[in-house]
Amino acid sequence: MNKIDAQTTKELLERNLITENQFQEIASYRNLNIFSLNIELKMLLYLSVLSFTSGVGILIYENIDSIGHIAILSILLIIIGVCFYYCFKNSVGFKKHETTFENPVIEYLVLAANILTCIFIGYLQFQYNPFGTDYRLATLIPTLVSFFCAYYFDNKNVLTIAITGLAAFVGLSAVPQDLLSGGIFYNNQFLGYSAIVLGALLVLWTIYSYKTQLKTHFNLIYLTFALHIVSIGAINNSTGYYGYGLWLIFIAVLAASSFYFYKISHKLKAISLFVFTILYGYIGFNILLFRIFEQIDFSDIWGIFILGLPVYLIGSIVLFIKSIKSFNKEIAL
Amino acid sequence: MIVHDKILLENVRLLEEAKSLHDAGFISKEQKELIKKELPAFKSHGNLLVRLGFFILGALLYSSLCGVITLAALSGIEDSYFKSCFYIFTVIGIAGAELLSREKYFGHGLDDAFILGTILNFGIALAITTDGNALLIAVFVAAVSFLLYRRYLHLLSLLVFCIASLAVLFYGLFEMGAVGQSILPFIAMLLSGLFYFITKKINTVLKKKYYHDGLLLANSFCLILFYLSCNYLVVRELSSNLLGAELTAGQDIPFSYFFYAFTFIVPALYLVQSLRTKDRIMLWVSFFAIGFSIYTIRYYYSVMPVEIALSLGGLILFGIAYFSIKKLKHNEAGLTFKPDRINNSPAFLNAEALIVASAFGLQPEAKIDKSPMEFGGGGFSGGGSGETF
Repeated sequence: MNKIDAQTTKELLERNLITENQFQEIASYRNLNIFSLNIELKMLLYLSVLSFTSGVGILIYENIDSIGHIAILSILLIIIGVCFYYCFKNSVGFKKHETTFENPVIEYLVLAANILTCIFIGYLQFQYNPFGTDYRLATLIPTLVSFFCAYYFDNKNVLTIAITGLAAFVGLSAVPQDLLSGGIFYNNQFLGYSAIVLGALLVLWTIYSYKTQLKTHFNLIYLTFALHIVSIGAINNSTGYYGYGLWLIFIAVLAASSFYFYKISHKLKAISLFVFTILYGYIGFNILLFRIFEQIDFSDIWGIFILGLPVYLIGSIVLFIKSIKSFNKEIAL
Repeated sequence: MIVHDKILLENVRLLEEAKSLHDAGFISKEQKELIKKELPAFKSHGNLLVRLGFFILGALLYSSLCGVITLAALSGIEDSYFKSCFYIFTVIGIAGAELLSREKYFGHGLDDAFILGTILNFGIALAITTDGNALLIAVFVAAVSFLLYRRYLHLLSLLVFCIASLAVLFYGLFEMGAVGQSILPFIAMLLSGLFYFITKKINTVLKKKYYHDGLLLANSFCLILFYLSCNYLVVRELSSNLLGAELTAGQDIPFSYFFYAFTFIVPALYLVQSLRTKDRIMLWVSFFAIGFSIYTIRYYYSVMPVEIALSLGGLILFGIAYFSIKKLKHNEAGLTFKPDRINNSPAFLNAEALIVASAFGLQPEAKIDKSPMEFGGGGFSGGGSGETF
């Protein structure tokens, strides 16, 4: 690999596309013969945290009756305590801007401690009901812990747990699998309202944190969740038949949110936001079309409809490609 | 044999190098743009989404061309048409690919649709002509996809070629009867090993650099095949599924010790060798091989319950990673923990958050037994809590 790249660099030099100095610099860097295991080792750490915490989770689930409750809880507490102690001792403390740790292990220890805390509180709630029968309170506490850890240790992974916790507190499942299958609402139109409100609040929070320069690199995560929650909520409610043109309001909400996210994706140069905004907007547009066609008597125009369908499909693909191309051009500037 | 302009093919490589040098911070953006302007390039798309969009468009175009011909033909001939129509479609595909390539389309999406469509239609045509003779289909598909690769330098066709050649080997030995079937894993192992070294050797002395990616693909394919060919799980399941050799309790496949040893030695060998030769592809293959070997053992022997295995595995992995990081942290050259300026791939680290959210995201508890109104109320109070942050 290295050899062929070095040859290519030499060719660039021969064509006078890079200067001799640059070539020397590149060559001397290549001569260090660096083989970085950064990503691989981080992935190992990550995998180890995932497998350890899932192992503990299953262990507790399977043996919920056989091992003593106090024993499980105290072991968990000790592990959590050790993890947090290590993290607090080695962390640089709270900073408003993005911080990176000298020691990458901490990032994953925070994650492990956080997941274990969730398990701990879940188990406590299951066994002793300290928060009463209201499960929402039981989800709120891990959420608060996660938010604290996310901001204190500057950890994006923990932040996603916190946001899903917040959504769960409201009654939504913002877990990606459910978001994709659209199954977060259980056919409940009122959850659609909560979703839109929650999404709007997340967006407001990003605006606030942008103004105060508080961890602005978290905004992309907030916005990603907000986009999906709001859009799916609006789509869900606009397809249902809840009476008297209510769907029109949700289409309007969807249009407004799509417009906002369209703007913001350009601002953040985030193609992941852009693509999904376009897709949700397109779905909303089709719902609108469908609702209009519902009002029309089809027997007269079905011929045009059949002929128009392929043109419409191809046209929308072409538009999709064009918009992505222009987006790419814009963010390259 | 290649339809593309050789100078443009060389430029593809130079432009890629310029891009990675820019990402590494060795050259400025203006310089990158200048290089881009200086070197004429193909009509192609680096962005996967755009390429996929054009691929779908191309597939629509291709199938509508085929549809028009079918409509025209339906009015006349009947039965014989269906026997030959896929050959006609193949010819259309080749014509389309040729036309697009001459118009300097390369890795664009449209050309992908026509080239892959050609292979697919040819495969279907053969299946109809030969009444589903797998060996013949595999042979011809391999031949056609190799020719398409040589003509259009289309990497996906080369992948099809690799898989089809494997199928040729498989069905060829399968039809030889008992002897062929029992030596199948060994032949596959020997051939993949042989081709691994051949492709590697060619790649180091290669003059025409645009074959580099293709050879690398074939090389990696051989690497994976070599491991899988004599993996215990693969061999045992293949022999029981395809040869109908039912194994009763206490019985084992012939040469089982060899396969067991192979399953464990090869991943370790890959790992050591990849670290020695600094071969990233081999390193990743070795990770997957190690994972698959563990799966192989757990498939047949439940050494310990899954939760203990997961927790212990997590602890061991953590230990390995922790000590490796500690050891490599201060290395400035060679093996190191410091991120490489060139060949960085942050794409993986972005996916991390998504996996955490899918695996450990909190889900709302019991929801059905409450009235909808309460949920609405919950929404607004939840909103309030969001604001306090």
